[in-house]
Amino acid sequence: MQRALSSRGPLVLASLLAVLLALFASGPKFAPVAAAAGGAAPRTLEEYRQFRALSIDILGRFPTRAEIEDFERPGFDREAWVQKHLAGPAYAERLTRIYMDVLRLEVGNAVNVTPAATTLRREQVQGPDGKPIYVYYRRGQRRAREATDGEFCLSKEETGLELPQNQPPRGTPIPVNKAVLDAETTLVRPWWLYRDFLQVSPQLRYGAGWNDADAAFVPGDRLLKEPDGAETVEVRVCKEEAQTRDRGTLHTTGRVPPPPGTPPPHGRLKPLPLDDGYAKTHKGEALSCRDAMAVTSSIDCGCGIGLQYCTPGDGNGDQPNAFALPSRTPLGDSAPLPRTVQSISAWYKHWWSEEVLHFFGRIFEEDRDFREVLTARGTEVNGPLAQFYRATSTARCCSRERAFGMNDEIEPLFDTKVVPPQLFPNETGTWLAVPDRSAHASGLLTMPVFLEKFASRRARAAAVYTAFQCKSFVSTSAELKPSTEPNLMVRPGCAGCHATLEPLAAYFSRIEETSTVYLPESKFPLKNPACKLGKNGKAPGFCDAFYDPAFGDASAGLLRGAYASAEHAKEGPQGLADMVVRSPEFASCAVSRVTASFLGRPLSSDDDALVQSLTGTFTKAGYRMRPLVLALVRSDAYRKANNLRSGTPRQLPTEPAVPDDAVHGGTK
Amino acid sequence: MRALAAAAFVYTTLVACGPPSVVHPESAPALSAASRVAMDTAPKEDLRLVPPEVYMRSYLQWFGGLAPADVQKRAKGADGNQLFDTWDDYLSALGFPDYRNDLPRAQQTNAIMVATFERLAIALCDRAVDHDLKSLPVTPMAERAVFAFENQDPMTEAAFAPRFDVLHRTFLGYPATLAPGPVSRSHVYYGLFSEVVTARQKSKAKARFTPTEAAWAAVCYGLARHPETHLY
Repeated sequence: MQRALSSRGPLVLASLLAVLLALFASGPKFAPVAAAAGGAAPRTLEEYRQFRALSIDILGRFPTRAEIEDFERPGFDREAWVQKHLAGPAYAERLTRIYMDVLRLEVGNAVNVTPAATTLRREQVQGPDGKPIYVYYRRGQRRAREATDGEFCLSKEETGLELPQNQPPRGTPIPVNKAVLDAETTLVRPWWLYRDFLQVSPQLRYGAGWNDADAAFVPGDRLLKEPDGAETVEVRVCKEEAQTRDRGTLHTTGRVPPPPGTPPPHGRLKPLPLDDGYAKTHKGEALSCRDAMAVTSSIDCGCGIGLQYCTPGDGNGDQPNAFALPSRTPLGDSAPLPRTVQSISAWYKHWWSEEVLHFFGRIFEEDRDFREVLTARGTEVNGPLAQFYRATSTARCCSRERAFGMNDEIEPLFDTKVVPPQLFPNETGTWLAVPDRSAHASGLLTMPVFLEKFASRRARAAAVYTAFQCKSFVSTSAELKPSTEPNLMVRPGCAGCHATLEPLAAYFSRIEETSTVYLPESKFPLKNPACKLGKNGKAPGFCDAFYDPAFGDASAGLLRGAYASAEHAKEGPQGLADMVVRSPEFASCAVSRVTASFLGRPLSSDDDALVQSLTGTFTKAGYRMRPLVLALVRSDAYRKANNLRSGTPRQLPTEPAVPDDAVHGGTK
Repeated sequence: MRALAAAAFVYTTLVACGPPSVVHPESAPALSAASRVAMDTAPKEDLRLVPPEVYMRSYLQWFGGLAPADVQKRAKGADGNQLFDTWDDYLSALGFPDYRNDLPRAQQTNAIMVATFERLAIALCDRAVDHDLKSLPVTPMAERAVFAFENQDPMTEAAFAPRFDVLHRTFLGYPATLAPGPVSRSHVYYGLFSEVVTARQKSKAKARFTPTEAAWAAVCYGLARHPETHLY
């Protein structure tokens, strides 16, 4: 309409009329905004800014226009608003972020989680009809047939291929005889394809009947397609891997080592596997199919019904891809970035981080005692974590430990018996509480993400010391003299830090470095006569990983890391947690971290009074964060946390800062 | 002449070998006070940088509450304008920490971060013009996360002010009338708006936006990357 009037010529009156009409036409649509603007008068700029700051700090986002309108209403109750929002996930995320920034609990690429016993790799061979097919298998799987024992279940003669690990196949494929294929492999409807994989005849296939899969459960496309691009309806698995029993028997062959230089038989790439000492002495004994040794010591243990104890990979490499994961989750798992297919290791490591985020979130959302972050024995797990704790974690143990009689984890940090049985590996969105992980569980200190992120005893101790006591190790002496002193608590140049660090590190003596395996007293005594030093000053070779010859003697070896404090080694991470939460620094450190984060600056001695006051509030409230944050956002320090602004009137002192006589004296 | 030279020699010798001359210190006279100014002893703190999580969450909100992947898709668009790359390209620049690689969060702005704010602002505002002002059928007012008003052409300063206030509240969180400064912020931005309209009207280049749409986009850029948006 306005354009039509304008086009008739330069008639000022008509144009003005058109503008007025246009304003009239758009007037009612402005009603809410106009009302908001009209109601804004009583609020000052500082009040708006403080409300925005509260929204940023507590809601985790800028206030919406509607929220600003609510704020402008005369009856707006700031206190009630704060109380209401100190309970939501955004508030919990805000506090979690403080500790994630300190601890950085995501594990990098150096850590792999592909134990042979639970990792299904696959090879592409030619089916009986000449079409390529995939066959899944586990590395090192023991088989009755000599030609394939410890290797892929189809031999070179049967496939025409040599299948070296982590390399493309060599040779010209030939169709596998149908009888051989049927005899050596089994068709399975696995957990990553079927929601109802436990049924005798699963029907609910991913994307075809199972259409409500959890959003975070996205199998890689290559797991869903056959080599010719057709949709995978069932997977072909070597028959040993497809077995479903829980217990098997120790398999022995009685083979003797071949003469040196003898090539492996049957076109194998590796020599035939031999019986180890343990197998010889325990021949025919029963073993759990969930033990790591089951894959290499039995021929009757597999991946369970629907392959539920194993994780599939889309190739034969060390790190085959499996599921699609967000490249990053800067706003948490509920708002992921676009997904890409990533490795099995990445899959588990992702859920390790999610576990600790849920752990923090629960403490903050439910306003639980913050000391639980170090002391709680419970956690929450979802399907992938349940699968990890049920099978993958235990499968990462034991090899070197077998020399000490530990074939599987005896006292795991997460007891497989307490893993919720109703959680399937494909249930990424269901999180269930586990009230008590194990007798050794201790907050985040015994979670895989912490133990793998901080792989050494000293790194673990230093992380706790820094994050929860707000202390750091600063060298008191830069002079490092050459020394053979193994005791770092007294070695010149080292003692300044290590006199404190070593006793703290001793708390982690019973958790293997770069691992989550717990070393029980029954198999790994503090002082082990089996690892005593010989006349040459050395302990037996199998001891080195666990017993430190530098602190051993002619009667026994000493458990690694325990030299600084046998008592701490005995107490374990729980002892450390207890010591830290009882220390006066724990509360003030937590208060300082939260306060610095909300004020957006490092604290100084000028803030001591505030920190002291807030620490009192925090401890009196049973170490709960909500009263602390409430007191903090009520404080003048928070209200004035951003008052360096050119346009903001500055507070002036009521009295002159310089006495009159100083101004007028001297020359007068 | 000789006597004069001898006297000069004696005098020089006496001066050179005599005791050193001493300048005794004395206090300088106090400066007289010209005026008296009260000292500001109130504690002053620097503005805080909005955490990148807050910025990103708000950014998603300005796109109508979409998920990050959907925002990426919409911001990239299908028109080949390359307004947006991927979130992965921006996370570090926005200051997000990378826990996996032990990279801490950025506590201060830097040139790359500011450039990223600008690029994201342009993507947001252009797509918001598409969604809120250009879309057919017309996007209902309740679904307009940025331009929650009707455009009009021409735009008087009086008509501009309440519309600008909508944007000002969206990004800066308070009414434009309260903005500090010697000149009304609405007036300043109306100047920008008018310049863009005029420039676009003179331009013969083919453009996706009408002059007023382009002007609103420019105003939106200015606010979405305004220092007050990114600090608090």
